Amino acid sequence: MKVVGKPLERRDAWDKVTGRTRFLADIPLGEAWYGGVLRSQVARGNLAGIARDAGFDWSQVVVITAADLPGPNTVAMIREDLPLLADGEVSFVGQALALVAAPDRATLAAALAALRPDITPSPAVLSMEEALRGETVIWGEDNVIADYTIAPDDMAAFEAAMATADRIIEGTYRTGYQEHIYLEPQGVVADPRPDGGVEILGSLQCPYYVLNALARGLGLERDRLVVRQSPTGGAFGGKEDYPSVLAMQAAVLALKSGRQVAMLYERHEDIIASTKRHPSRTRHRTAIAEDGSLLAADIDVVLDAGAFTTLSPVVLSRAILHAAGSYNIPLVRIRGRAVATNTPPNGAFRGFGVPQSIFAAERHMDRIARELGVEPLALRRQLVLERGDVLPHGQVLGEGNAAGALVLERAVTLSGYEKRRGELAAANAAAAERGDPVRHGIGVSLVHHGAGFTGDGEDRIATVVRVRGEADGTVTVLCSSVEMGQGAETVLPAIAAEALDLPLEAVRYHQPDTAAVPDSGPTVASRTTMVVGKVLVQACDDLVRRARAHGADARAAWSAQAAAGEALVGEGRYEPDPDIRWDQEHHHGDAYPGYAWMATVVEAAVDTDTLEIHPERVTAVAEIGTAINPVLCVGQVEGGMVQSLAWGYLEEVKLDGGRYLNDRLATYIIPTCLDAPRFEVELAAEPSPRGAYGAKGLGELPMNGGAPALAAAIEHALGIAPDTIPMTPDRLLEQLQARAQEARP
Amino acid sequence: MKIVCIVNGERRELEVQPLRRLLDVLREDLGLTGTKEGCGEGECGACAVHIDGRLMNACQVPAFQVHGRKILTVEGLGTRESPDPLQAAFVTAGAVQCGFCTPGLLMASRALLDAKAAPTEAEIRAGLAGNLCRCTGYGRVVEAVRSAAGMRSGREGEDQSHPHGGPDVGSPVPSADDAVQVFMPNTLAEALAVMDHGEAVVMAGGTDLMAAFHAGRPLPDKVLDISRLRELTGIMLSPRRVTLGAAVSYTDLLNSTEVTAHWPALAEAARQVGAPAVQNMGTVGGNLVNASPGADLVPVLAALDGVVVLASTGGERRVPVLDFYKGYRDPDRRPDELVAAVELPRPAAGVRQAFFKAGTRRAQSIARVNLACCARIDTQGRLTDVKLVAGSVGPTIVALRETMAYMEGRRADEGGLDAACRRLASGEVHAIDDVRASADYRRQVLGNLVTKFVKIFV
Ligand SMILES: Cc1cc2nc3c(=O)[nH]c(=O)nc-3n(C[C@H](O)[C@H](O)[C@H](O)COP(=O)(O)OP(=O)(O)OC[C@H]3O[C@@H](n4cnc5c(N)ncnc54)[C@H](O)[C@@H]3O)c2cc1C
Ligand code: FES
Ligand code: FES
Repeated sequence: MKVVGKPLERRDAWDKVTGRTRFLADIPLGEAWYGGVLRSQVARGNLAGIARDAGFDWSQVVVITAADLPGPNTVAMIREDLPLLADGEVSFVGQALALVAAPDRATLAAALAALRPDITPSPAVLSMEEALRGETVIWGEDNVIADYTIAPDDMAAFEAAMATADRIIEGTYRTGYQEHIYLEPQGVVADPRPDGGVEILGSLQCPYYVLNALARGLGLERDRLVVRQSPTGGAFGGKEDYPSVLAMQAAVLALKSGRQVAMLYERHEDIIASTKRHPSRTRHRTAIAEDGSLLAADIDVVLDAGAFTTLSPVVLSRAILHAAGSYNIPLVRIRGRAVATNTPPNGAFRGFGVPQSIFAAERHMDRIARELGVEPLALRRQLVLERGDVLPHGQVLGEGNAAGALVLERAVTLSGYEKRRGELAAANAAAAERGDPVRHGIGVSLVHHGAGFTGDGEDRIATVVRVRGEADGTVTVLCSSVEMGQGAETVLPAIAAEALDLPLEAVRYHQPDTAAVPDSGPTVASRTTMVVGKVLVQACDDLVRRARAHGADARAAWSAQAAAGEALVGEGRYEPDPDIRWDQEHHHGDAYPGYAWMATVVEAAVDTDTLEIHPERVTAVAEIGTAINPVLCVGQVEGGMVQSLAWGYLEEVKLDGGRYLNDRLATYIIPTCLDAPRFEVELAAEPSPRGAYGAKGLGELPMNGGAPALAAAIEHALGIAPDTIPMTPDRLLEQLQARAQEARP
Repeated sequence: MKIVCIVNGERRELEVQPLRRLLDVLREDLGLTGTKEGCGEGECGACAVHIDGRLMNACQVPAFQVHGRKILTVEGLGTRESPDPLQAAFVTAGAVQCGFCTPGLLMASRALLDAKAAPTEAEIRAGLAGNLCRCTGYGRVVEAVRSAAGMRSGREGEDQSHPHGGPDVGSPVPSADDAVQVFMPNTLAEALAVMDHGEAVVMAGGTDLMAAFHAGRPLPDKVLDISRLRELTGIMLSPRRVTLGAAVSYTDLLNSTEVTAHWPALAEAARQVGAPAVQNMGTVGGNLVNASPGADLVPVLAALDGVVVLASTGGERRVPVLDFYKGYRDPDRRPDELVAAVELPRPAAGVRQAFFKAGTRRAQSIARVNLACCARIDTQGRLTDVKLVAGSVGPTIVALRETMAYMEGRRADEGGLDAACRRLASGEVHAIDDVRASADYRRQVLGNLVTKFVKIFV
């Protein structure tokens, strides 16, 4: 292959290093007005009205409340339960009550300050436990937004195993919030059109999601709506769902004021208003036979959805589909629930529920190993899923999808895990002897991640990609997959170049724009390279076929056609794979076309004086099918890994009465260069027959592996078992004190 | 206000509101949008630029302060045709993903390599610690900087007629529509005269003030800039003491070989403040007067027997640092008084000093607990001159008086001394619970850190 697999320079890199890339806030606004949001300060209550200060001149601004909305007061996602503006009922701190547009920022701030919402607070549900108890019902009949079960085929055998096992090993694991902190805050600019429609330019992942939300919320035909993506300064899932909210806010203001309206959140508002990773609680009960083998597992996953549905059902679905981890357990039942609380809605975040459920699975493996008195590595070696094994949801792991043992062994070798485990234990003993406070530990995790949409999701999305032949012999890739740092703008053209046997420079990429590119689905779910890339290859083939009808030399033919004003466009459409079976109701069948695998070994230090953790060294081996661009792949692994580690020990959101306390960069702590570990990353390839040139999804995989490996390293260092993340110094101290208490006679 | 400065080699005369952020001047007035805003409060480094060769966060620099200065932004660093070696290295090494952090990271990298041509990995990481990147995990970034080290920057042939400053242009000219009146006196006496009229807000490095303005604190009517007062920017050594001018920055402290040699705890605290840009901007006086309970210099200055020198037109007043705080964020300073300096006596021979900080992360971190210690062993092998001052555990710094009294005069090798000190230190403070840590954590860690200090002598 000429292009695929080469470490080619990113195409957007030079503009980025010279400061020429124009992110949304860099584009001059001219006459635009600024949009702002009046937000609730209470977690739950009844909004009687919003008074307007008589001293303020309201003629200079535009104000919109629920009563003034042109459409059905909803931001359409999976359900339509999220109102654009609170109407009567208020359900979380930060919920939008009214929108204001003003000619400048100062007037906007003054107007917002002159609005006085009259809210009578009522009892709020502020934790998953309260929501499950259901004494106060805030959503549906029982606060349960989604409730799914994956059941074993032989339920009787499962029940028998759970009832008669020699022993049951139980554990409960919790994970906390995570804020995306894409470095570029959220923003959109809305322009009213003369035909009554609206155009959106924004920092976003999913142009067509926004288009759908606008069509529904404004009650407008799609031909009067356009959504364009501006260069996006990081997203990580945070610009999957939330831009629909932002675009609706800006759009109604633009339509009412008749002006261009910019909604550019600054960091503080971004943190308060935008979605976060769902906190979770997962319980494992594992039935163990007398000989120590695992008979059955009963797993219960609960996600805190926040006040409205957003994407929670899909996040939950993915969470339970990975909840048994990367191991072969004969009989598994998994139940998952997403419950409503009076907190800001949670949403998509790299990994989409899997980091939560797989953290629990990995920690539970470590617990089983501890209770059985075997090495965590030995247990993993024994149980790792292999080709031909059947996952709890009934999918048989086929060709190119079972690299667990491969990555595990390679990571163990590369890191010297077994040797280091002994060395560090000895060094810790010596340090204790000397009175040196620092302890070291090493831990391993094994994770996988299904790429593409769950089940028949890709059938429903029905990706379309086009490739247009240009007069100068180049081609332009037309799809809605955005560049947000992950490298789509480089990788998709590379795939097209390979398919068309062109140099990379001869392939252009059209910035996603619903007026110009077809719907190739959202830029999520690690699907871009694997799924969209594969359809792109078809589009390229189609272009060549069409061109050949005009002449033997395809490139000459499409150039000539384009020069004559009859540009040829090749089209690829996702074709449902007849071999894929999926039963959505029972979560049974072929959940994902491809699984990527990763083993992670983390060495960490803990200062027992201050209980500060530092992950020092990470060895990661990722099997991702064909690496279309290895440099970009390594970057994805390292970046995702640091997010995963930090979620495990550093990043914390505390709430008080449903209000985030860590709502600025000074209090929401993400790693600096000094906090990040040194990396050794290796890529392995078991090419997938279902992805472009054998590629699989990679973007989310590293987010799964860091936190559990770090927790295992801390267990090794301190001899306590962290089951809740983040492992803050406060939590470690509590656990150490509890252990000291137990040790006392 | 009319200011004159040099931006990317070009002389610019600008009409600005004095407190307008340099970031907005660059982006909105000059169209230099390569400099980004990621937080507006000094935390992320996306807005980092060079001012007179020093790395600073443009979101924390008021426009008036760049009058007469030389500014370099990413647009001036290099172009695709004639790049800085770092720009090329970032492209090749894969150090760029979304690119939003990239301009700031490049400016920090350039400042680092300008100061040290071949830094170690640890130095690279420390040099970039004020620049958050959410995409890369930093591995490729460190690699890029390493590979560009030792390569010549294209700017070396540039006009160096103002290596440490822009044009000599006198004072900026106020305008009728300035929302804020700025005083930029040349002498301490003039500054004190301004203070005498009351109500002027003193601005030194601006790192606390600009963050407060960003968070919504109303802008003042009058600002007194002390960042250029020669009388306040010096480190003066005498046989008995050092006098640190109030406008001395953390970087100035770290660059002083005398300070690092004789007041190592002070240097250690300065090293642990923020990250390079904050160290270049923030000052000793600002740290004292801002009076945050978590301030890092304050406990050290107290433990080293520092004395705050307050100046007003009525004369000077001296207050020991330990007595300087009357309560939470309430320094003993009259509105007409300027903190002019802090005096530290030279430590007696044999004094051991330490500064410990348990923070939220390894840089850009606010202390959960910090502790400054000093003591020495007398000729009989007994601990003496013991000073233990903790920060971030209560509304103000606290001297651990019971622990100090217990240690004073005891032999360092006395059995059980460390355990007794741990118990005493944990017990004697009324620690606070907040978003950063629990009271229990603070007590325990304080005990551990005191013990750590005691062990130095064993
Ligand atoms: C990102 C970031 C990280 C930080 N990290 C740390 C840290 O790790 N540790 C730490 O201790 N601090 C930290 N700080 C806080 C801050 O940098 C320091 O407190 C700094 O020393 C303040 O100095 P300044 O010159 O910038 O103060 P300014 O903002 O100029 O002033 C602060 C206050 O002091 C007053 N003032 C200043 N000088 C005088 C004077 N001479 N006389 C009278 N009043 C005066 C001002 O009026 C104002 O009220 C951090 C700040 C930021 C933004
Ligand atoms: S914008 Fe974040 S430091 Fe200036
Ligand atoms: S490259 Fe995206 S924040 Fe650094």
